[in-house]
Order: sequence, then structure tokens, then C-alpha cells
Amino acid sequence: MAEEIVTTAAAGSDDNEGGVGSPWFWRGLALPGTAWVLLFFVAPLYVVLAIIFGSIDPILRQPVPVWDPLHWDFSQFNYVMGRIFGSDAYFRPAVLRTIEYVAIASFLCLLIAYPVAYFTARFAGRWKGVILACLIAPFWISYMMRMLAWINLLQNDGLVNRALSAGGLFDVHEAWLSGHGSTVVLGLVYGYVPYMILPLFAGLDRAPVSMLEAARDLGASRWQTFWRVTWPLTRSAVVVSLLVTTLPMLGDYFTNDLLSGSPSTSMIGNLINNAVLTPGQTGQAGAFVLVILVISVLPMFLYVRSTRSGTDIAV
Amino acid sequence: MAATRGPASDPARRLSRRALVQGGLLTAAAAPFLAACGVRTHDYGELIIPAPNHPVKWPLSKRYTAIASGQKPKPGSVLRIYNYADYVSPRMLKDFESKWGVDIHLSTFNDADEALTKIAAESLGFDLYFPSYDSVGKLIQANLLRPVNQDYLTNADNLWDSFRDPWYDRGARYTIPYTIYSTGIGWRTDLADVDLTKYPNPFDVFWDTRFKGNMAILDDWHTAMAMVLMRDGINDINTTSSHALSRVRDELISLRSTMRPKVTITMYNDMPAGQYGLAQFWSGDAINMPYYLPKKVDVDVLRYWFPPNGVGEVDNDLCVCLGQGSNPVAAHYFMNAILDETSAGQNFGFTGYQPPLKQFTPSQLVKQGFVPANLATAIVQESDFEKGLPLLELPVTADTEYHEIWQEFKSGG
Repeated sequence: MAEEIVTTAAAGSDDNEGGVGSPWFWRGLALPGTAWVLLFFVAPLYVVLAIIFGSIDPILRQPVPVWDPLHWDFSQFNYVMGRIFGSDAYFRPAVLRTIEYVAIASFLCLLIAYPVAYFTARFAGRWKGVILACLIAPFWISYMMRMLAWINLLQNDGLVNRALSAGGLFDVHEAWLSGHGSTVVLGLVYGYVPYMILPLFAGLDRAPVSMLEAARDLGASRWQTFWRVTWPLTRSAVVVSLLVTTLPMLGDYFTNDLLSGSPSTSMIGNLINNAVLTPGQTGQAGAFVLVILVISVLPMFLYVRSTRSGTDIAV
Repeated sequence: MAATRGPASDPARRLSRRALVQGGLLTAAAAPFLAACGVRTHDYGELIIPAPNHPVKWPLSKRYTAIASGQKPKPGSVLRIYNYADYVSPRMLKDFESKWGVDIHLSTFNDADEALTKIAAESLGFDLYFPSYDSVGKLIQANLLRPVNQDYLTNADNLWDSFRDPWYDRGARYTIPYTIYSTGIGWRTDLADVDLTKYPNPFDVFWDTRFKGNMAILDDWHTAMAMVLMRDGINDINTTSSHALSRVRDELISLRSTMRPKVTITMYNDMPAGQYGLAQFWSGDAINMPYYLPKKVDVDVLRYWFPPNGVGEVDNDLCVCLGQGSNPVAAHYFMNAILDETSAGQNFGFTGYQPPLKQFTPSQLVKQGFVPANLATAIVQESDFEKGLPLLELPVTADTEYHEIWQEFKSGG
């Protein structure tokens, strides 16, 4: 029925110039999005490029963007690449560490978020609204405040060490806040898990119950129903939720600054932050941004593929 | 599904590679037009670096002239101040506003490099800025400062004599001193069993593995690297020797791998909170520590060490009038308030950073309760500047070398 309507609209497009059927109408719909991308992605990206490949003020050591690509200087970019891929690769551990931390944190987020979203979508019943409100509640508290709460819990005489010492039974003096990778991962998981639950909930809530019932009627076990029906139906939501959390984690520097502050847990976000704040190194910060962009292209590509295959299935 | 038949699914309308390339070429073609929005670049000539043995009298700015004498701040006008966070007393600001009917807008920054970036943009209209003297040369040579009209500084007599005509600004044409501080070692006796006398060099304490994971160093490249130089017995903390800097690099890398130090500037809060027991400290932060200490912990556990022979890092921060500001008259009155004994006392009580005024002698500071007796070593005296080691601005090549070492240290590679 819906197909008929669209087909009719498309067929009538030649006679209906400027109307809903007109190609200009459809192109016009893309205008706000195109303007948004141009203004807030393409233009800033070009500014970043003009700074990476620009020059430096000789005294103030501030970046001087060079807008004309014919006059671009690649020395800052090459410097960063040389220290990631070259023989003197002291940035490489931070890049690898970032990928490691983000991968572990994303996996843990998924491990926590999926069951929570599943429960809320399937079994919460009339409590669904309340649970959703509780899930959104962390957004009302600033990220910094949530991290500061962990500082109190994890400091040497904090609640975590006191709990581990079991009332003085054991002698626990673990310095959780002094350069522990596990503490940084914990912070990332805690900080970003709410961002993962919501898209997962949306995906799970949208999955038609009739298909699950059909699977069960056809003799599938609970596990088989989940694995062969629910999971494929929610794969797109999983990819979206991973993107929503992974991409900001890749550029996160604040979690590490607050919960570790040690160079031994530095991530790419910290390298960017340090470079931005250091005179003469702003171009390097831009080069790191490009590295993140390249790293994040892979999950974006996966997402586009997964949505396209979803569309193909639908067709 | 109907949506799959909409325009987005039409292959002819999808964004093709060709369209992408065309878009890229268009962007590149637009570059010369973007260049029209260009950034002001400077042609400075030779970089001048002031030092105690090379005092500099800066020429008066041709871009910004000193204001005429005898003016009053315009009531209702806005005075824009740009300073470190928590580095000026709110009460002092309020008192100034009440007295002169001026509205103060305070903006803050986290470090001098960030501040310099915004000031160099010249679009924010700040009237007053509080740099260290290692940025003064840059600010003056980049023509960003307005010369100070000394007629407004009626409290200048309160200053220590050595600060009336400082080496970094002979004739005090552009600056007034704001605070003074030393850099040393701070610790909590209940969290770190520190005995500095047992080390050949007291700075070795930062490499003592007993304090692994229980220590921090300042997140300030030059201050931290100066500490390593002094540990190596090199008192030229502004050295440009590649050999010395190479040693500094090795020691910093060793410090990072063996000690897992926290690198921060919030030790005044972290150490009282019990996050670690030992840290490199600015004296002003050491004086401020009791304020952050939990009530159950006795102030007596706090310690601050500075080389008893006075050969250690001693510096001062300044207040300057920026040319970009629109309220230079109120700015001059505020500068004068900084030199006022009462205002300076309020400020010291809030920030912990000492003003170089004659009224603030070590015995008075302890007696009046500004500084607890166990932190009296954090009080800076005028004589400290005779033997003390200042951090200076560095030539561009050396500056780059220092920054690269610090970058390697902080990247954790």
C-alpha cells in the first residue's frame, strides 16, 4: 500500500513541478542537512587542515593557518606520523593504549547495557517509563561531577580500599588514582554506559514481538530465539550504540586526567589536549585529530554497511 | 517498504566518488577566498630575552599609548580581567566594584599557553592579564601591551625596593609585580615518610621507589624540567645545552616508568585529600593546603622544603594592561589596588600567593595566621631573589627542544 503511494507520487512528478513529486522538492529536503554538514563539519575540518599544514608565529608560537593548499607545509603532520609509525615512535603506545582502553570499555558497556535495555524493552511493563527516567537521570549530572565522585571512592583512604580491607582484616593500600589503566577503563565505562543504553533500548523496543512469538511457535528455544531473531534485528542498534560511545571515548582526555593524571595511561585525547595547550604544537593536535578521524572511519563504514544491508533486506 | 523507494535509494542521486572529488576541488578553489579572512602575523625582528644579567628597558609601544593622568574610572563601565582560576580574591573584586562603580568581568585560563592563544587573537577585549615574566617579552614584542602610567600607582611605594625597577622591565614601563613564589617539595608526614637529609640531593626523593604511585610533579614543562636539572647539579635551569637536556629526558622517562607520578597542578587539593603524600610544589599552593585539609587531619602533618641555601627556583607573576581592553583607566586603578596593603592581604588570604610588599614580613605572616609555622619555609623573602633561580623565556630552538622532551614524557610512550 505504502509502495503504491510512493510509486504514484513518483509517477506524478513530471506533471507536478515544484510539488511533492518534483525532484527539487526532494533535493530541497536535503538542504538543511547539507548546510549543517558544510557549516559544522566540512568548514571546521578545512580550518583544522589549514592549521595542521599552516605555519607558526615566530614569537607567540601560535598557529597561523594557511588557507591555500598550494602553500601547505607538511612538517607538523610528518612529525606526528614519524612518531606514530617511524623508528622514534613515542606516540604509538598512546595510540595503541587508546584503542585497547576504548575496545575494552566499549565491550564492557555493551555487556552492561544490552541486558539492561533488553529488560527494559521486554519485561519492564508499566515500569518502563520509570526505568527509562532512571536511565536518563545520569545525564542530569555533569560528567565531571560523576568522575569526581569516583575520586572520593577510589582515593587511598576511600570507600573502595576500606571495603576491600574488610573492616581492617586485610591491609589494602592500592593507589587506584595513580596511573592504573583499569581505573581509566572503569571511568570510561561508567561515564559512557548511559549513552549506550538508550539507542539499544530504542532498537530492542522497536523489534516486533510477533517475530519472537513466531520463532517460539516454530520450536526455537529461548536462546535460539535471541540469537537468530532478536540479535539480528538489533544489530544496527548495537552498531549505533557502539558508535555513540566509541567515538567520544576515542577523543576523551578528561577521564584519564581526573582518574589517573599519569603519563603512563595517556590516550590520544591527552596528546591532543597537551598539543593544543603547547605553543607551536597546535598543528600536531590537528594531525592527531586526523588520526582519530581515520580510526573512526572504520566503525562508520561498518555502520553504513549494516544499515545498507538492512535496507537491502527490507527491499 | 515504501521508504526504500524514495530519492535516497535512487542510485543516480547518491553521492558519487566524482561528486566527492568535485566537492574537494571546490573547497580547494575556495581557499584563496578564505585567505582573505587571514590571521595577523608579526614581523618582530630579533627576539629579546630579558634575564637578571641582561636587564631590558623596553621601548614604549607605538601602537598603544599610555593613558593621560588624572582620569577616574567611568561608573557602570566594564573591566575585563583575565587570570588563572582562583588566583584573585572575589572579595577584593567586590570591594573594587563597590568603590568605583565598575562592573568586573573575570575570565579564567588554566595555563599561560592557553591564555596567550586567546590574547593573541585580540578579539576578547581583556583589560588586565596576569602573566609570568617569561611571557612579558613576547607580549611586548608582539605589541599587545599598553604602557603603564605610573601616576596612577600611588601604592607603588609599598613594593619591595628590588621590584621597583625589575630586570625584566626596567623602569616598570609595562608591568607591576603581582605575587612571588618559590618551587620546592611538599609532603604529608602521615602519608609519606620523607627524610630529605638522607639523599645526596633532596630532589632524589622523587625517584625513591618507596613513594611509587604516591607522588606527583607539576604539570608545567619548565618547572618540572628545572627540578630535574637541579637534581643533576645544574643550576642553569634555562640551559640550552642539548647534552644536559638529553639527561633530563632520560631521567623523566625513568621517573615515569619507575614512579608512575601524577602530573598535575592541583596538588594543593589532591594532597590534602589524601590522593598522594609527596609532590613538587609551588610555595603559594603549599600555603593554601591547610584550607583543603579535611577537619580530622592536623595541619601539622604538612611540610614544604625549599633549598635552605636559597639556591632554588624563585619566580614572580605580574599584572599587565592589555592594549585590546577598552577600560584602561579602571585597569590602572585596579593595578594600584593590587599594591594596596589591605587588598593585597585579602588576596593573599584567598590565593595563598604572597605579594612582594614591605608590610608582609615572614614573622608577621606567621603571627597573623596567614601561614602556619610548619609551612614557614614557603614564605618568600626579598633576599631569596638574590640567590634564587628564575625561569626565563627561552630561545625558540631551545624552547622547542624542551617542549619535545616534555611531550615525550607526557605521551607515556
